[in-house]
Amino acid sequence: MVPGRGEAAPAASEQGLRPVGFRRLNEAQYIRSIEQIFGAEITVPGRFDPTRREDGLMAIGAGRVTVSSSGIEQYELRAREISAQVLSDSHRAAMAACAAKDSITFDQTCAAGFFSRYGRMLYRRPLTDKELAATVGLAQAATAASGSFARGLETGLSRLLLSPHFIFRVETDEIDPARGGGRRLDSYSLATRLSFLLWDAPPDAALLDAAAAGDLHNTAKLGRQVDRLMADARFEQGVRAFFSDMLGYEQFQGLSKDQAIFPKFSSQMAKDAQEQSLRTIVDHLVTRKGDYRDLFTTKRTFMNRNLGALYKVPVDPGAMEGWSPYVFGPKDPRAGFLTLAAFLMLDPTHEGRSSPTIRGKSVREFLLCQPVPQPPPNVDFAAAEDVHNPLRRTARQRLEIHGENPACAGCHALTDPIGLSMENYDAFGEFRTHENQALIDASGTFDDKPYNGLLELSKLLRDSPEVPRCLVRRTFEYGMGRPTGPADAAWLDAATASFGQDGFRLAALLRRVATSPAFAGVTDIPAPASRVAAK
Amino acid sequence: MSDWTRRNLLRGMMRGSAVVVGLPLLDLFLDGNGEAMAATGAPIPTRFGTWFWGCGVNAARWFPSKLGRDYDLKDELKPIAPFRDKVSVFSNFNCTLDGKPNLVHWSGIMATLAGCAPMKGGVGGGSTDLPTLDCLISDAIGKGTRFQSLEAACTGDPSVSYSMRAGSTVNPSEVDPVNLYRRLFGAGFQDPNKADFTPDPKIMLRQSVLSSVKEERDDLLRAIGSADRQRVDQYFTSVRQVEQQLGAMLEKPAPADACQVLAEPGKVALGPTWESAVNTHDLLARLLVMALACNQTRVFNLALSTAGSNLRRTGEAVALHELTHEEAVDEKLGYQPKATFFIERSMETFATMLKLMDEVKEGDGTLLDHSLVLGTSESNFAKIHSVDSLPILVAGSAGGAWKQGQHISGNGEPCSRIGLTIQQVLGMPVTAWGDGALRATRPISEVIA
Repeated sequence: MVPGRGEAAPAASEQGLRPVGFRRLNEAQYIRSIEQIFGAEITVPGRFDPTRREDGLMAIGAGRVTVSSSGIEQYELRAREISAQVLSDSHRAAMAACAAKDSITFDQTCAAGFFSRYGRMLYRRPLTDKELAATVGLAQAATAASGSFARGLETGLSRLLLSPHFIFRVETDEIDPARGGGRRLDSYSLATRLSFLLWDAPPDAALLDAAAAGDLHNTAKLGRQVDRLMADARFEQGVRAFFSDMLGYEQFQGLSKDQAIFPKFSSQMAKDAQEQSLRTIVDHLVTRKGDYRDLFTTKRTFMNRNLGALYKVPVDPGAMEGWSPYVFGPKDPRAGFLTLAAFLMLDPTHEGRSSPTIRGKSVREFLLCQPVPQPPPNVDFAAAEDVHNPLRRTARQRLEIHGENPACAGCHALTDPIGLSMENYDAFGEFRTHENQALIDASGTFDDKPYNGLLELSKLLRDSPEVPRCLVRRTFEYGMGRPTGPADAAWLDAATASFGQDGFRLAALLRRVATSPAFAGVTDIPAPASRVAAK
Repeated sequence: MSDWTRRNLLRGMMRGSAVVVGLPLLDLFLDGNGEAMAATGAPIPTRFGTWFWGCGVNAARWFPSKLGRDYDLKDELKPIAPFRDKVSVFSNFNCTLDGKPNLVHWSGIMATLAGCAPMKGGVGGGSTDLPTLDCLISDAIGKGTRFQSLEAACTGDPSVSYSMRAGSTVNPSEVDPVNLYRRLFGAGFQDPNKADFTPDPKIMLRQSVLSSVKEERDDLLRAIGSADRQRVDQYFTSVRQVEQQLGAMLEKPAPADACQVLAEPGKVALGPTWESAVNTHDLLARLLVMALACNQTRVFNLALSTAGSNLRRTGEAVALHELTHEEAVDEKLGYQPKATFFIERSMETFATMLKLMDEVKEGDGTLLDHSLVLGTSESNFAKIHSVDSLPILVAGSAGGAWKQGQHISGNGEPCSRIGLTIQQVLGMPVTAWGDGALRATRPISEVIA
């Protein structure tokens, strides 16, 4: 069905240097795929294998995991339950008109049409002849065994849903005719990269059609597809997914704070805090087309009743969906998304108090792309501890231990000063001036510039050249599913400069990433001289 | 199951008669010399489990002084007193790094469980170059049961698991007793002691789906980049495992004297407070023990907490991991009292697991006697992340194949010797295990019966 597909794959000789990936769909992407393909009324049951953050992003971790056997158990259950809903009496007419009336006889044409249509959407490319024949054959055997054509289709659909071609994004490449011997992603793999970058969802029919027509390897036509994807309502969902990954929001899952210490905390409060920050990000970057750096200083946000109690501010009772735009006053100790509760409470390792070390690490790793080394082994912390005066009331006093020990001082100098200047906000995000009756000292130094408190730190971050550079790097890595290396430095430098010329607008950055040759997997790596065809 | 057989199965179904295909009973690993029989005459299988707790011990309060049998129990090991004669304690078995980094709260556990020092990870997670012991053992003894192995963890986080094939993928843990119960005893459970048995023809259809998916393997392996082949291969291995699980459900289960179907547990609060975790532990442990007794699995992994333990007492601001690093050593006591609370209670919790296993009578002994349970942590003294003399316990006797109840010193040799010994005692044809400085070639002869 796809001439040439599979034939272009070279042997293992190039040591993994090909631009292709094998990335597992995460839970949201899986659910969204089912919704986009079969409709929102289909429910997706079961537990998903845990995700992993590697080299700074979940999107990179997704390219390093596989599926455990208990994971397959869950995928198998999901496949059956989704297929049963899709082929249920109430849905079948809409999904497969030719099978509207269940029959005991197998209808070859109907089955082939059904699996071609949904196979293309699930695999994000047309099925090969072999794949289609195997699926139709299975459906035929199952029809005979169950005495129901609908059950037969259900069984075939389960098979497609259990395929690694659906559960993973399987990227394949081909020879790039424009660059003798060089390689590039094939059209369907590029279409999938584009739609997941911009929508965090699989390609729609129009994008698959464009891939079939070869449009995505034509600069002007590719640009038009990218513009179309970015004009679609789903672009907002893509931006949310990207920032949720970049900012570590998977940690919101199961996040809790000790209710004896933070009586206002609830899992709903954590959800609301997350939603508030995502609304703020989307509003600033997508709706208002704002400068990315201003996200660190903006007073604009959104509020609902629950959060009103946390921030101690009045909330518009008649707001849509409970949310209304809100602008913090000049005297409020809030400006920029680091002062929002989402950032301040997002620490699953400390349920009872704030950790300046973790907060500092989050700023370094999430926003500045500066990995903080692991703590050193076999360090005797006891030497640096004053057992006779254990009264260290504030975090600053407690963390002075790090500074007094040369083995700890190096890394904690990266994290603790940033985190300590955020200590006016407790582990839940509430503002405070004292900890354990002692006055909090929120002074700090960032890039050799002294400052006091999170609002001043946020201004320094806003003006740091590392902040936009890190965003450029993360969008690239997120789309490619791999960390950047020395070979990418030139592209990153150029893209960072262009990002500045574009006024640090996110849409311009994403468009540049999406239309870049690097994103299309263009490499100069020559294909091996000879190889065995896949078919 | 081969395609040929599956097709015949489908044909059988088409003729309207459900056909039972007898998979060979994979009870190759009978206890001892293979003669142990339950009252019903069915052979009693050998089981393996791991039990993990995070953040180590206080060496002086945990390791016995006396070697051999009748070892002395220091304060932190006192909870296992009722089972001392069934528990082997290992001291001075090290995570030998030999120039590799000590990835804190990670290297130590992978040294014991995978026999290699990992190059990536830290604070309870990372990657491994070799599969963990439980995977190797379940490949050998777990394939004939409904679940090749079962993983569970007690703090509500399914990524807390130290069962891994090589790479970055953990075999995720069940964290909710209700979910584990339904997976075990819900739809698909065949009571081994029920007289009648009808195989469900729908299961054959499900097998045929998995079998058909497997046919995509070769083409995909050719299409994918070389770096990704191992993950593709693992995917299909997992598919095959589930296919085998379904195969086990098509067979009339062997009777199991000790199998009792429990009532579904009620909903409980999940999370890392000590109170929740230990309550969850006891519920999960009960279910795992019954899964073993009912022949639903031969292998389990139970983690009380992650290695950089976030266990915390309700209302306390600071969790165990931070306590180990920040809490002052009480001069009079000579240890960190708040951190030590968790060490002592962890050993009590381990003792609960042993008690539950020992209460299940099988043949002339107990479920514990027919098992080996490896209890371990990732550090010796977590305060300084030390990985010399890792705390390692092995309970049970593998049906008499393991000489139980001794304290054995490794004199600084690699801790992977314990994993090698366990595999050999379980009858696996392994002469060496592990990688680099952790490659073990000599089993610990003192425990081999």
